[in-house]
Amino acid sequence: MSLVVQVIVTGLAAGGVYGIFAVGYSLIYRLTGVVYFAFGDLVSFAVFATLLVAAGTAPVSQTSLPPGRFLLALLVGLLLCVGVGAATYILFIEPYLLRGSTLGWVAATLAIAFALHGMVGAVFTRPAYVFPDPLPFDELGRDGVVSVAGASIQVRSFFVIGFAALLAAAAAWTLERTRHGRALQAIASEPEGARFAGLPVERLVALTFGLVGGLAALAAVVAAPSAPFTVDTGALLGLKGLVAALIVRFGSPWAAFAAGLGVGLAEAAIDNLRIADLGLGPQYGEILPLAFALGLIAYRSLRSEPVPGRA
Amino acid sequence: MSAAPAVLGQTRSALTAAARELRASWSRTATLWALVFAAALLAPAALPEGRLVDLAGFVYLALAAVGLGYAMGLAGIPSLGQGAFFGIGAFAEAISRAKGGVPLLPSLLLAVLVAAACGVLTGLATGRLRGAFVAVSTWILSWIVLLVLTSFPGISGGAQGLVMPESRVLGQTLTPTAHYVIGLTLLGLALLAFAVLAHRGPGLGLAAGRDQVEAALGLGVPVARLRLGAFTASAAIAGLAGALSVELSQVADPSAYGPVLSFELFVAVILGGARYALGPVLGLAVIAGFSNAAEEIGAARGLPPGRLEEMLTGYGMLLVLGLGGAGLLPYADAWWRRVRHRREQSRAETPATLDPVDGPAPLAAHGVSKRFGSLEALDRLELEVAPGSVHALIGPNGSGKTTALKVIAGQLGADDGSIALGVDDLTGLPEPERAERGVVGTQQTTAVFADLTVLENALVGAGLRRRSAGPFRTFFRTPKARADERRAEERALAALAFVGLDDGADRRASELTAHEQRLLMIASALATEPRVLLLDEPAAGASAAELERLADLLRSLRDRGLGVLVIEHNLRFVRRVADLVTVLEAGRRIATGTLAEVAADEAVRTAYLGRQSL
Repeated sequence: MSLVVQVIVTGLAAGGVYGIFAVGYSLIYRLTGVVYFAFGDLVSFAVFATLLVAAGTAPVSQTSLPPGRFLLALLVGLLLCVGVGAATYILFIEPYLLRGSTLGWVAATLAIAFALHGMVGAVFTRPAYVFPDPLPFDELGRDGVVSVAGASIQVRSFFVIGFAALLAAAAAWTLERTRHGRALQAIASEPEGARFAGLPVERLVALTFGLVGGLAALAAVVAAPSAPFTVDTGALLGLKGLVAALIVRFGSPWAAFAAGLGVGLAEAAIDNLRIADLGLGPQYGEILPLAFALGLIAYRSLRSEPVPGRA
Repeated sequence: MSAAPAVLGQTRSALTAAARELRASWSRTATLWALVFAAALLAPAALPEGRLVDLAGFVYLALAAVGLGYAMGLAGIPSLGQGAFFGIGAFAEAISRAKGGVPLLPSLLLAVLVAAACGVLTGLATGRLRGAFVAVSTWILSWIVLLVLTSFPGISGGAQGLVMPESRVLGQTLTPTAHYVIGLTLLGLALLAFAVLAHRGPGLGLAAGRDQVEAALGLGVPVARLRLGAFTASAAIAGLAGALSVELSQVADPSAYGPVLSFELFVAVILGGARYALGPVLGLAVIAGFSNAAEEIGAARGLPPGRLEEMLTGYGMLLVLGLGGAGLLPYADAWWRRVRHRREQSRAETPATLDPVDGPAPLAAHGVSKRFGSLEALDRLELEVAPGSVHALIGPNGSGKTTALKVIAGQLGADDGSIALGVDDLTGLPEPERAERGVVGTQQTTAVFADLTVLENALVGAGLRRRSAGPFRTFFRTPKARADERRAEERALAALAFVGLDDGADRRASELTAHEQRLLMIASALATEPRVLLLDEPAAGASAAELERLADLLRSLRDRGLGVLVIEHNLRFVRRVADLVTVLEAGRRIATGTLAEVAADEAVRTAYLGRQSL
């Protein structure tokens, strides 16, 4: 029982972050048809830029930072993520979108990913870094851990779940209720019509790339203190978010968020649970969701109406 | 036995003919490349043993990159899975050799087969997807291969990897020099195949499908099969390269094959120029330059290996993309073209003329219906096109003319009714098979294959009747394939001459005027030797003189026994060419007859012609 509770809470906490990534991928895909491969590494970049401003490349601990400087660092990280997200769209992605060159935007988004990943890795050379917690969760419970139904759970797990849900709700609300959101929906369904109606399509899409980058940076900063952050963490979070987005075919924000939670739960369950004495173990936790997504794509593709010229 | 000398004589004359052909087609460029290849083979003499391992390793990677060029350049498939196929080949080889004790050659074959099988499965699973999803699926495949290899030490030997037994073939140990020679020979073959295929047989079909899927299908190009073939070949080549590379390094490292390798190979292809045989090799050389520089700097600064390399590869790619993204060879090629104008190839002065239709047959549509949701686009359409006649389809906008044409061509499926050519039932057949039986359509919008020359455009059509145009026959230039190719070229030139485009057949199709492009579409369709031709507004945007020529063309086609179904708004043009006219309104046929009969029809007058006098 206690194990099940533990699996559910850790799964949902991880899944909430995947969910936010999935929301970002879905929004961008629906607007532009682009799969933003650089998303995960953009978030890594934000996290490490925050560390750099806060304490240089030296390791930090929970108590070693002056709060003012850390706050400034968080702000800088967030703005960088927004700025780099929008700038890369304008410079490298949009030209290829306009030409309808899939090879072009795939190359561009991946090149951005590897450029960011390599850059962060060249500056931050330790195996892993501790990201200080912006909020004092270690003062709650016993060193930040409470006991629920016999399971020891980090208090901040609940915070991560709640905050991720809040971000997803904010994304959904922006899309449904605000002028910006309605304009985006118009662009997604009818880009030419939207342009004709006088919407500044390019600017709105660039802004969305920035906002989506900021969204994921917030999610990652909230989640990062839970475990040591490595140079590769962002890419892996991004990959799982992509899997979640694929499962719901880049659907609505709520669908993408739910799929993220599902991926997180599945991963935690595969890692830890033994059903009828049959346990798969951690080495399957990352592979199976990926394989599932790939199988699902294949299944849908084979069942779909053949597109002219495709097998 | 008196037959033996005769057979010998035949063989000898065939051999002399082949030798003559080879001499005739040998050019200075070919000599140049042969010399380059020979010089490259001599490189081991000038290099120390240690560098030779690196060089052979580079050649194997280049082989995988050229393989990826088949998928990306020839077929236009954005594959991020080449690193995965390379790794699958490498570990199939390593496991069967180190754990199964299989000898080297059979295990190489096994590795290629395993990689090709994975390629077929991936190609089938992703074949119907659009580019973005193909990229994502192959990307996920790369991650899965990496994760499987790194998290199951039982399979992959864990952190130390799998150590290989000594590489021996026919009692000889494979030295790095031997690897280099093998790798270079395979690379040379892969490049040669790319160069030969890019503008012939299957390569033309792939290029057509890459640019304009609808138009290619209309001309009977089996786009899906060709794409699957290109993708499978690309995976098989990667598997072979991966297997040989673990024989070279004597150890299979589980963490070496995955997304990073896939990305580097992808970048290599784009950096160099995907549509050029040598593009991937050049791109990979640039990346290797980056990586050497990165290694030096990284070692001096004590960085973990690989980080700077990734960063530089990423920046290099972004730089090229920022400059327009065409890749290095296309830049060089465009510059070369400006410096030196391309010579027109000389051809026979008098092109063959178009043959009369072989086995004319009437096209008949009975009770054909097509619904889009609640919209009844076609309602029990009846239509017959007799051989040797021009049948015009007219009606107000939105009356279902284009839908009718698409349903007859097989571009859209009918919900109801039957379509037949003579006794051949076409109902339910896909578009390429209808083209094969003689019903060929052109698109409403101008849809020429802009990257191909005028002649190549027509050759795409002529390819439908080729029987010896498979990749192997085309590559080995067998006598059959060459004769077949000559006939196809004659047909293509005849079709071009018929529409008046035989001058400047080596121009790119994108250089033609809009009206010339429409004529080129018709020529490509005629090169398929159709029995019934479907034309959607061929006269759109034509000048009065051009209209005149077009009318002559259609009448001349009719006289050759062709059935022509044409959609046209211009009633003066219809009067000049059409033997029969069918009027559609709201998806229903309201009249069929000569233009005069139709014009007298009360229903037609109220529906459509009331506003226009004939």
